[in-house]
Amino acid sequence: MPFTQVNSKVVQAKIQAGQRLYSQRGAMLAYSGAVSFTPDLAGGQGGIGGMIGRRVANEATPLMTVEGDGTVMFGHGGHHIEVIELSGETLYVEADRLLAFDGQLRQGTMFMGQQGGVMGMVRGQVTGQGLFTTTLAGNGAAAVMAHGGVLALPVTPQSPVHVDPQAYVAHRGELQNKLTTALGWREMVGRGSGEGFQLELTGSGTVYVQASEEKL
Amino acid sequence: MADFTLQGSKVLAVRMGGDSVKAKNGAMVAYDGQMAFKRLSGGGEGIRGMVTRRLAGESMTMMEVKGTGTCYFADRASEINLVQLGGEKLWVEASNLLCTDGGLRTGTAFTGLRGASQGNGLFTTTLEGAGTAAIMSDGPAVVLRVAPGMPLTVDPGAYVAHTGNLTQQFQSGVNFRTVIGEGGGEAFQIRFEGDGLVYVQPSERNTIGGDV
Repeated sequence: MPFTQVNSKVVQAKIQAGQRLYSQRGAMLAYSGAVSFTPDLAGGQGGIGGMIGRRVANEATPLMTVEGDGTVMFGHGGHHIEVIELSGETLYVEADRLLAFDGQLRQGTMFMGQQGGVMGMVRGQVTGQGLFTTTLAGNGAAAVMAHGGVLALPVTPQSPVHVDPQAYVAHRGELQNKLTTALGWREMVGRGSGEGFQLELTGSGTVYVQASEEKL
Repeated sequence: MADFTLQGSKVLAVRMGGDSVKAKNGAMVAYDGQMAFKRLSGGGEGIRGMVTRRLAGESMTMMEVKGTGTCYFADRASEINLVQLGGEKLWVEASNLLCTDGGLRTGTAFTGLRGASQGNGLFTTTLEGAGTAAIMSDGPAVVLRVAPGMPLTVDPGAYVAHTGNLTQQFQSGVNFRTVIGEGGGEAFQIRFEGDGLVYVQPSERNTIGGDV
């Protein structure tokens, strides 16, 4: 797999001729070898159709294609980076949290309403993630950014996990997510515990949580 | 009793079996099992504590977390330090307190001029009893020992918490250079004497002393 962690905030990718990586535009820190960076106007895979889809979905983070033969270091904004290896599963992540990913992964856009209907859309609004999210499927690795490090929590059918929507980073596997509210009279009179909304993840997979309630 | 463990240095995992902990409002990042969150008015010290807190301006919004399972807490990627209390008292700034055992008593203490120089008001929070407390610091905190005959002086902006039998004294290094605006940025310090531990963070809050 091409990504190796240099330290908690810098990730190194080894790239060989014929391989391709996508990364957030401007996230390259240093490189050695013959590597070329091309701004990817389409913002990823899928040609014009995929591009329009992402524009409409507001998941169009400027990407660049990295090709050639050498090693490249990536980092952005001093955020902690977590390398997530995928072997056939699907990773759901916000486009602006995605630092770099293997060109072999299939990139897609998912409408939140597909999971949880109306509540799924409310969920997107509450978490500030919008109505769409990016999916990556296949075999390969992705580097995901988070504020203050990432905690990976396993979810099994017996033990669902509840996550603060602001601390949610990404998830993978066969997970259903649902926005649950615990709003009571205390929230109505402005004396809430600050935990009025939670994401409930059920199924089997992994959820990634950051050590902070800040958005990137 | 709730079981406190650190997941890395920035996430606190608390395992609970039906008991409760007090935590900073909104600091939960994830949980499994069943949990209920309830805001504690006035820091959970009843009406008297609430009035004292209002008067003291030591605002601390805490919530009570009760249930069975594991609850994860984190706040703005701050480093977390666990402090075990066996009956002694811990003085900590309310803004640095992340989570405490439900059995620890919280209170308010007067700090005088020191508090004002820290930019934290004239009062501070105290914790007393047996149990664990999780305190936050901006960067990993260092624990410095104070022994009789070995006083310690710290920057008010870097002070986080202290335990033990310590007397604190506020000292100022204001001289004519400070007055003409050529100060070293270390115009105020707190001096601890006695026997105990002081937690210091490798970062400074904005204080009056740091600007002059």
